[in-house]
Amino acid sequence: MTVHNIRHGDASDGAEAVGGRLSRVDGPAKITGAAKYAVEQQLEGLAYAVLVESTIASGKVRAIDTKAAEAAPGVLQVLTPDTIISLRTASDWFGTPPPDKPYCPLARDITFSGQHVAAIVAETFEQAVAAAALVKLSYDEAPSIVDLSDAKAGDGIPIDAMTKEWGDAQAAFASAPVRICAAYNTPREYQAPMEPHGLIARWEGDQLTVWEPSQWLDGMARTYAEWFGVPFENVRLVSPYIGGGFGSKALALSHGAVAACAAKMLGRPVRLVMTRPQTFTGYGGRAATRQTVTIGADAQGKIQSIVHRGVNETSIDGMWVEPLGSVTSIMYATPNFSSKQNVVRVNSVVPGAMRAPGENPSAFGIESAIDELAYEVGIDPLEIRLRNYAEQDPYAKKAWSTRQLREAFAAGAERFGWSKRSPEPRSMRDGNQLIGWGVAAGTYPVRRAYGEAIVRILADGSVEVESSSIDMGQGTYTILAQTAAETVGVRADDVVVKLGDSRFPRAGVTGGSRLAGVMTGAVYKAATSALDQLVGLAISDPRSPFHALQANTLVVANGRIGSPRGDGPDVSIAELLKSVGRDHIEATGDTMPANSTPEDRYKNYTTIAMALPHTEGDYSRHSWCAHFIEVHVDEDFGTVRVSRVVSALDSGRLYNPKLAESQWKGGIIMGIGQALLEEGIVDRRHGRIVNNNLADYLVPTNADIPDIEVISVGIPDLHSSVLGGKGVGELAIVGVAPAIANAVFHATGKRVRDLPITLEKLI
Amino acid sequence: MTRTTVPVHLDINGDHHELQLEPRVTLLDALRDRLGLTGTKKGCDHGQCGACTVHVDGERVLACLTLAAQVEGRTVTTIEGLAREGEMHPVQAAFLEQDAFQCGYCTPGQIMSAVACIREGHAGSDEEIREYMAGNLCRCGAYPHIVAAVRQAALEVQS
Repeated sequence: MTVHNIRHGDASDGAEAVGGRLSRVDGPAKITGAAKYAVEQQLEGLAYAVLVESTIASGKVRAIDTKAAEAAPGVLQVLTPDTIISLRTASDWFGTPPPDKPYCPLARDITFSGQHVAAIVAETFEQAVAAAALVKLSYDEAPSIVDLSDAKAGDGIPIDAMTKEWGDAQAAFASAPVRICAAYNTPREYQAPMEPHGLIARWEGDQLTVWEPSQWLDGMARTYAEWFGVPFENVRLVSPYIGGGFGSKALALSHGAVAACAAKMLGRPVRLVMTRPQTFTGYGGRAATRQTVTIGADAQGKIQSIVHRGVNETSIDGMWVEPLGSVTSIMYATPNFSSKQNVVRVNSVVPGAMRAPGENPSAFGIESAIDELAYEVGIDPLEIRLRNYAEQDPYAKKAWSTRQLREAFAAGAERFGWSKRSPEPRSMRDGNQLIGWGVAAGTYPVRRAYGEAIVRILADGSVEVESSSIDMGQGTYTILAQTAAETVGVRADDVVVKLGDSRFPRAGVTGGSRLAGVMTGAVYKAATSALDQLVGLAISDPRSPFHALQANTLVVANGRIGSPRGDGPDVSIAELLKSVGRDHIEATGDTMPANSTPEDRYKNYTTIAMALPHTEGDYSRHSWCAHFIEVHVDEDFGTVRVSRVVSALDSGRLYNPKLAESQWKGGIIMGIGQALLEEGIVDRRHGRIVNNNLADYLVPTNADIPDIEVISVGIPDLHSSVLGGKGVGELAIVGVAPAIANAVFHATGKRVRDLPITLEKLI
Repeated sequence: MTRTTVPVHLDINGDHHELQLEPRVTLLDALRDRLGLTGTKKGCDHGQCGACTVHVDGERVLACLTLAAQVEGRTVTTIEGLAREGEMHPVQAAFLEQDAFQCGYCTPGQIMSAVACIREGHAGSDEEIREYMAGNLCRCGAYPHIVAAVRQAALEVQS
């Protein structure tokens, strides 16, 4: 449980209301070192676990020699597939009933390099690390398929559910006067949050407490409960702060199962934290992808047909589909369209969600291709986007709830100075630096679900909010404080927000940019109900100073209650509660449909099966953005530097622009990394990730990033959420990589269709 | 094979600590696991990310690449020791005001680096700040705001 109650300026500047630029309420704890992240809990009797992993990509573990490790100082346990307790298979995140078979988080059959094979538990971390190095594994190695480019990889498995078609795309392409066709590739990319994955597990009888960084407390608690065959209520997940997730911390993973088994077997709390190299194989990053995009257009650049084919890699025994046609099918108006996708099995950990899964690589394909079409036709890359502007969702054939993309193009172009762009490639330079200007659009669907919260008005007039949702830096603590403050009528200083404990009212996954919309709605509802109770008491309780007033309603502002006309008493919330003999008022609010059963609620909060489609009803709901990016390319060395970024974004209403701008810029920066730096390099012999560390897997540093300007062009979208916001977290990365690739083409005349854009591809 | 421990005397944030440690224990693990000073973060354990930056005798040092026994007799300052008498250091205040962090995990290391960066005289321009803060990775991408915070704090510290 984490509590924030910190003073921030005064209410007069409007910062405390929803939409105000309140500084992070969890900020002081984070900048003083007081914020305790999950694995930093200091527990009595804590033991330390370290994983041992496979060094081959495919085959069987013939033998595990643990003698030396067992004899090493401080070793308490050596866990292998033979010694670890047996678990039950858990259901997946859709809640699909699992096969009735045991689950072992340590592997005998190896399907990727870096698979957990054994674990050492010792009295100290140093002893566990030393003993883990003494475990000797021998294998019967089998041939492996190391990645998509492997000759054995094949064409893969068609995923029919990904097929989207209308009109006759092939015929329209064949007869189009202007035709382009190109292949676009993205490599394996990694979330690389600064806080490595890890946990502390502690059993008390059949009650399990897990302190673990988590984007989804209730979902992970369900998985642990199913693994160990204990009731869901017996598992408590605690995740007060999360040191970055980007999609990677939403699910309970095998290392968590190992730690929880060790704790159960040992009868002591156990901490297990992955090493940085282990974070490259202990869970999946973004799958490598391949796309071909063909566009047929008329001589004016009006699109007549798009044919799109995509492939992403998945693991040998798991399934990950990265929806590559997601942006392709909605960004531009086209009368004929066809998109199909396959997945290819390779010897890798199953890929996972990374910031805008699907939309991100999808946009790299279509937003590069439309740029190629602009040059082919000979018109401005911004103009071709406007010429093919989709006035409604071309796939769902529904009206957009809101689509401020035209406004984003206009605002971004104006601020960037796009009209001064010289159209010819290699026509702008500064000494030996070729200068390029590129544009690309991005989008992300508005994912919606239901949330639940408690709002309490306490005896001292302060307000408390509880939810099992989380804050991994998006600003949940802050925007929920603002929501409760504005709704009840108190100052944000007087709101305490408690998150990150599965004992609190339930919340679904923090993923797909849905949390802010879901939880502000739930807190708004709970706070409204608490306020109604407060005002009801003030009006009707005979002991209330307002009783004689015979008012129909009262106004609560800045923690004080009075009549709307300003006559009669004016008392603080604390004084009112005291006069009516109440020590608190409490209201639970949720956004579930009224007739929901307890089973519906459990399903909603512990699976993603009840998420609402973004095209439900009459509207198609998406966030939109346009990126304008300048690059400098050294003509001699081919080095690319991003020198200027202006992005205009439509995330609907912003609950706190200060924090939303930070998240947008963060997405843009991750996009710069994707465009220029990030690539998991696979060893051809053993399928290992060669650059499995932060010195070799290059993420952007401060020195790689220029100043970035973001402009909000959104308007409240009440079809998308209770308070009018759309999505923030994932949107801004979408379109950055193609904007940079397009800028690099403008600078150099070379079209790089294979990320990242490294110097050898330009020389 | 038995491992011996050695007595280590540590001076951290003005407090004296006597520990009995194996010589292989890093300063980072001594701070986090033995002393409960978890403000200093472990991001990579290999000197690649900067999350564990602390000051030893006033200079920035990576605690994951420093053995605890190496700092015997030297003065260590961690993020917990930066505020004086409850008043936040100007760098801390600037980080809050500029929203120079999101998840907060790299933040203590960024702040310790920033304090030293200003003290070293390397906060003269945005370009210089970017270069001298480049050893501290931030995956949330707070870099432009970190530059703004260091610029703001440098002006305050100098005035």
